[in-house]
Amino acid sequence: MVKTIGIVGAGTMGSGIAPVAARAGFEVILYDVSHDVLKSCMERIKADLRKLTEGGRLSTTAATEVLSAIHPRKNFGDLGHADFIIEAAIEDLAAKKEIFRKLDAIVGADAVLASNTSSLSITAIASLTRTPESVAGMHFFNPPAVMKLVEVVRGAQTSDRTIDTVCSIALKLRKTPVVCKDVPGFIVNRTARPFYGEALKVLGEGIGSVEQIDRITREEGGFRMGPFELMDLIGIDVNLAVTQSVYEQFFHEPRFRPHPIQRMMVEAGTLGRKSGKGFYTYK
Amino acid sequence: MKRVCIFGESPLLEEYALQCLARGLDVQVRPNTDSGRGNSISLPRKAKKVQRPSRSSDLALELTNTSLEIKRRNLEELDRVLPPQGTILSSSVTTTVAEQGSWIRRPERLVGIGAFPSFLEGSLIELASSRITDAKSLQAAAEFVTVLGKESTVVGDSAGMVLPRIVCMIVNEAYFAMTEGVAPARDIDTAMRLGTNYPHGPVEWGDRIGAGHVRAVLDALYRHYGEDRYRIAPLLLRTCHEGSV
Repeated sequence: MVKTIGIVGAGTMGSGIAPVAARAGFEVILYDVSHDVLKSCMERIKADLRKLTEGGRLSTTAATEVLSAIHPRKNFGDLGHADFIIEAAIEDLAAKKEIFRKLDAIVGADAVLASNTSSLSITAIASLTRTPESVAGMHFFNPPAVMKLVEVVRGAQTSDRTIDTVCSIALKLRKTPVVCKDVPGFIVNRTARPFYGEALKVLGEGIGSVEQIDRITREEGGFRMGPFELMDLIGIDVNLAVTQSVYEQFFHEPRFRPHPIQRMMVEAGTLGRKSGKGFYTYK
Repeated sequence: MKRVCIFGESPLLEEYALQCLARGLDVQVRPNTDSGRGNSISLPRKAKKVQRPSRSSDLALELTNTSLEIKRRNLEELDRVLPPQGTILSSSVTTTVAEQGSWIRRPERLVGIGAFPSFLEGSLIELASSRITDAKSLQAAAEFVTVLGKESTVVGDSAGMVLPRIVCMIVNEAYFAMTEGVAPARDIDTAMRLGTNYPHGPVEWGDRIGAGHVRAVLDALYRHYGEDRYRIAPLLLRTCHEGSV
C-alpha cells in the first residue's frame, strides 16, 4: 500500500501534482534542489488553497490538512521514505537518468518510480536503475489540478504490477489513467502533432491566414481553441521542442517534421503569450 | 434563390438536402448510382429525385468526394445542361477547383465548397475559387451559404481545404498509433478527449465522417503534394475496405 508519494522537482508540474496527491490523502515529500523554488512553490500552493477555501470549495480544516501533508525537502535522501516517486524535473534525458540512478540507490525494493516526462523514452530513463521493471511513465497534463488525463507509459521492461500500481494511484488522485506503449509523444503529444503541423503548412502555403484558420477550426470544427491561439498559449518554443523531439525520435518521419515558421518565430523571440507576441499580439 | 439541384453521394447528399429544405428551398437530388456499397441513401421525402438537372435551377451542387471519375461525369453533365449563368458549387476537398475547372467548358462559374460529412454541424463553411472563377459566381456561392444560415470564408484553392485536411491528418495519426499497438481505439479517444481541446476522439471522429471520405482527402493530399507525410495508415485503408466495425 502506497502511503507516501515523493515528488522530484517543484516546478509547474511538481507544484501542481503535490496538492492533488495531498488532497487524495497521501503524505507528500516534495523535493527540489533550490530552496527558492521550494519556497515559491509552497507560496503558490497556499494561495491556491486559499482561493479554494474562500470560494467555499474546500473547508479550512481540509486545507490545513492538505498543507500539512506536503513536506518540502531540499535533501534528496528524504525521498527514500516514499514508496512511490513521481519525477517531474527538467525535460532532459541526461538529467532524468541521473535522478533515477540516485533514486534507485535510496528507495525501498518495492518502490515504484514514475516519470512525468512528456516526450522522453521511459525505457531509456529506466535503463540506469537496477529494477527497470518498476519504472513507468506517469504523464500528467497541465494544470494537474484540472486535467483529468494521466498517460501511463509502459517501458520495454515495465512489469504489469508496476502498471497496475501507477493506474491505481492515478485513480486515487481522481484521474483517468490510459495505458500506452513507450513511443515518442505517447498518445496525446503524438496524435496532436498534425493539429499544429498541418495548420502551419496551410499557413505557410498561403491557403489561409492565422485568424482565418483559427476561426475555421473553432466555428466549423468545434475545437475550443484554434492551432495558433493554442501554440501562443503553450509557447512557440515549447511546442517546437516537443515537435522536434518526436521528429528526431521517429528518425525524421516526415509527418512530424517541424515547420520553418516555428523556428523563425523562436529566433525572433516571439514565443506567444509569455513574450507578449506570437501569432497574435498581447498587451 | 429558390431552387437548387444536388448531385452526389451519401451522406453529403442527405445532409445538404435536409439543410436546403429546412431553409425553404426547392430541392432536386440525384444520388450517384455506382458508388458501391454506400447505396443505403435515405433521402428526405420532400427532396425531388430527378434523372436530369432542371434548367431552371438557380444553383447546382456537386457533392462527390470519393470518386473523381463520377465527380467529373457529374460536373460535365451539370455544365452541359445548366444555363450559362447558373453557378456550380462543387465539394473541393479531394481535388482543387482549378482541376475541376479543366474538366468543363465554363470554369468561370465553378466555386469550391468544403463539403465534408458532419461539418454542417458548425456555423462556418469554407469556399474556394480558382483564378478563373468569376466574382458573380463566388457571390452566388456566398449567398447560398447565407441562405443556409451560416457564414462563409474563402480559403486558397488547395486539396483538403483547411479543416478536412487538419482533421483527416489527426485521424490518420490515430490510426498509425493503433497500427503500432500504442493503445486500442477506445483508449486513444479517451486520451485525446481528456488531454486536448478537440470536440471528438479521433477514431470516433473518423467514424462520424466515414473512413471512405477520410481516405479520399488523404489520397488527394498525397496526389497533389507528392509528400510521404500524406500516405494513408494501412489500418485506415483496411477499415475502408471492411467498413467500420
